[in-house]
Amino acid sequence: MNELEQAGLARLRDNWISGGAAFELAPAEWKEFAAASSSDEQERRLLAIAAQALDVALRPAAPKTLKRRPPLPMLALPMLPDWLRPLLRAVLKYAADARLKTRVATLVASRGFVLHPMDWMPAASDQESPDIYAPWVDWQAGADGDRQSRRGQLTAETWDDFYPAARRTALVELRRTMPVLARTLIETKGASEPAEVRLALVELMRFGLSADDIPFLKSLSADRSGKVRETAGRLLARLGERSDPADGASKDPIAELAAFIEEGKSGFIRRRTTYTPIKPKSPAQQSRRADLFASCYFGDLIAQFGKTEPDFIGAWQFGVDEGADLFLVRMIAVSGSDAAVACLADLLVAAGGRLALLVLQLMSRLDNGRKRVLIRQILDDGQNLAALNLVEGAEAGWLEWSDLARSKTLPALRSAVSGDNDVMKRSAEQYLETLGFLANPEAAEKLIDEVIAAGLSPASPSLGLLRLNAALAGNPSQSDR
Amino acid sequence: MQLDLKTIEALAPDQASLGAAAKLTKRSNWPRLETNEQLGLIWGECQGSGANPYRVAFDARDHGYKCTCPSRKFPCKHILGLMWIGATAPASFDRVDQTPEWVNDWLGRRRKPGQPPTPAPASAESKSIDEALRPEQSAAVEDAAAAERREAAQRKRAEDTRSAVSAALDELDQWVADQLRLGLAGFVDASSERCRRIAARLVDLKATALAGRIDELPAKLMALRSEERPDAAIRELGKLVLLAKAWRAAPDDAELKRLVSTSETRDQMLANPDALQVESDWEVLGEKIETRRDGLVSHATWLLDLKSPIPRFAVLLDFFPASAGRRSGAFAPGDRFKARLVFYPSRIPLRALVAERLGDASPGNWPDFAPNAAGDPLAAYAAFQDGAPWLSDCPILLPAGAIALDEKDGAWWQAANDSHGIALPVAGSVNHTLLGLDLTVTAALWNGARLELLASQSSIGRLNLS
Repeated sequence: MNELEQAGLARLRDNWISGGAAFELAPAEWKEFAAASSSDEQERRLLAIAAQALDVALRPAAPKTLKRRPPLPMLALPMLPDWLRPLLRAVLKYAADARLKTRVATLVASRGFVLHPMDWMPAASDQESPDIYAPWVDWQAGADGDRQSRRGQLTAETWDDFYPAARRTALVELRRTMPVLARTLIETKGASEPAEVRLALVELMRFGLSADDIPFLKSLSADRSGKVRETAGRLLARLGERSDPADGASKDPIAELAAFIEEGKSGFIRRRTTYTPIKPKSPAQQSRRADLFASCYFGDLIAQFGKTEPDFIGAWQFGVDEGADLFLVRMIAVSGSDAAVACLADLLVAAGGRLALLVLQLMSRLDNGRKRVLIRQILDDGQNLAALNLVEGAEAGWLEWSDLARSKTLPALRSAVSGDNDVMKRSAEQYLETLGFLANPEAAEKLIDEVIAAGLSPASPSLGLLRLNAALAGNPSQSDR
Repeated sequence: MQLDLKTIEALAPDQASLGAAAKLTKRSNWPRLETNEQLGLIWGECQGSGANPYRVAFDARDHGYKCTCPSRKFPCKHILGLMWIGATAPASFDRVDQTPEWVNDWLGRRRKPGQPPTPAPASAESKSIDEALRPEQSAAVEDAAAAERREAAQRKRAEDTRSAVSAALDELDQWVADQLRLGLAGFVDASSERCRRIAARLVDLKATALAGRIDELPAKLMALRSEERPDAAIRELGKLVLLAKAWRAAPDDAELKRLVSTSETRDQMLANPDALQVESDWEVLGEKIETRRDGLVSHATWLLDLKSPIPRFAVLLDFFPASAGRRSGAFAPGDRFKARLVFYPSRIPLRALVAERLGDASPGNWPDFAPNAAGDPLAAYAAFQDGAPWLSDCPILLPAGAIALDEKDGAWWQAANDSHGIALPVAGSVNHTLLGLDLTVTAALWNGARLELLASQSSIGRLNLS
């Protein structure tokens, strides 16, 4: 189409938009084609020509500022094979929320694959997805793919080449292998970061925390951010450092908290000390006690009673006041030493029943071995299977068939799927989904057979994750290799 | 698996369904018949009157069933036919251990799987398998005079239809001229009401297909930005004018009749010796499912010929009432199968029927089609418009490119080497992951204003985009 025709088309268009005859405004050649006895027919013919001109001769004008995203980074693991993707998509569709979908990605990553980005992508704010996805988390957050691909190891020089998720993953790894180097990086580079980033960096000090970190953590008591000071204080408390009494405080909070705890003796032959929570007399007292447990450090509390951590934990009378039990466990999770956390977890798991579920409050501090013990305990007990979903950071694909076969969970599941109670059946289907994450391939396969034999429809979507797990049998979990 | 004819008789909603099911028991109607005996399931694909085969499944444990046909009879003739084959010729079913995804989907959605079969309610109407099997009484031999009378009546009906359609197109012409006179700005604003009125008139005058198209025009306009709507109105109204003129020049042309009044039936198509038939490997590129204002859902399944040296496409088009609920198609994007397709006669053959399924085709990448001489991604669209200027959606294969965003976050497909400075606006929103992927080839529908993405090949394999 030449310029004259383009100008003519623009005139026709403007005229038709407002209405009225446009024949005289058409380019000369078009008028020749469109000439007819009636004016309506002339207009229609012109319309047909104009339609074709718009369709074929004119191309949409591309905006000058089209924004391309950087290329999606390649991840270090291969993608899940195509033949498993329909099953995976069914599993993701069944997973009710982002957390459960992330769990699917964790299981698949534990077998050496990543998901196809059109099937699942971690969110920009995601901190739960497996570390392998850090480049995608940063890409979602707007990171430049080129910068990501050219970076090497995290050092002071390459600091800026790392976007937050990748930097976090690298720092965690560094804290485990070279904690001093990681601390130096956090100390030198973190100082110039805003408070929010500083806080996230200081929180990473919990990995590989040791007495060497005390000077740095103490130096943070002068930090501008209250949250940073608080986090550093908790980490110091875990290392056995006592907190400084608050300046000008009218009342010592530790003494106030200790007043809610009664020291006593028990046993006839061998007298031993006991610590029993005193029942608060009013809602106000109850609330104050909760605040004190949340704000004081465990190290200060045991110092008040002159006990060691294991002694105090062993002397605490669990079961007298469930609220106080919970507050104490949370307090130890926040400020107890690693040894105190391990001691408490072992004690609670050994107690079993509802007390064992208090270990869920310690999840962020527990090692994988103790998490496994807790999960086995929950399965053996078979009474609180919903708690399985609360086990944060559990490993994928390790649970063996023998763990399930000897537990009370298996008969409970069989009975639920074969019964008529829809509520129990739905719950059982949720547990199957969870077990699909925890089980190893052999256990997954056997569990599918068991519940189908018990009456569950073979096509139940709750079996999806178990099926995916079993289908990845050729790739045992990385943790079990 | 226990299936007997008495059960089929009891489940059938009426005698007519049994009669229709009896005709479907020929193996040739069923390109696929499979069973999982352990689970008591039989399923198959039945070539019905639609372009896509219907997917039919039956659970022998509790007499649950599922068919993708739009019938309002439950169970439909396809279910009864499947059961019938199961009862009388179980060897026709291939025994498999894995149930296909669509059967699993259905089983997963069922409210109470695994319940014992409920006895069919006793129907007041008597139904009999024996009656259904009785050959139909042959029609009385027609005498020559009666045959002539019938043919004359047919001719008269065709003549009446042609006159009615001609009158419809006269009204359409006048309506188009009125819209130009009144102004397209007003037309765009009131398009819903104005189009509804002329569409109703066209239905009265037997231009049904054209009426359906005009009914959809407001939705097409509203999908665009307001500044684009007048141009889109010019394009659409201009196409209607061209179609009306083409029909007047050749009222017996099969393609034009199909676009203006009614389409051929499946049987007519299969019996048409002039219809183009192509036996090849096909890949399902994607689906386009639209609920129309006339209460129908149009379900278009776009296919790519994997053996053609140049890009060849086909579309399987089915319509069913929206009130029949959501239906799953026989194919999923990415599926590959061998089949003989029959194309509806057309200047640009696209719409087709599956005449015969010949098994599955092996997976892989799309073939390297010969690039067009001009290297212009829209050259195929220009050729398409030369052949059939009244059509809109043209399937095209775009070269290497990527998706980018404009300032209003609208998505554009942009050629990688950008030799023609070309970028095409994409309809709707896109998955943002796509923005970080390099697309080596993209299959899409271009309508002159928007690109509807169907599928792409990329560095991470095939992407379903429809």
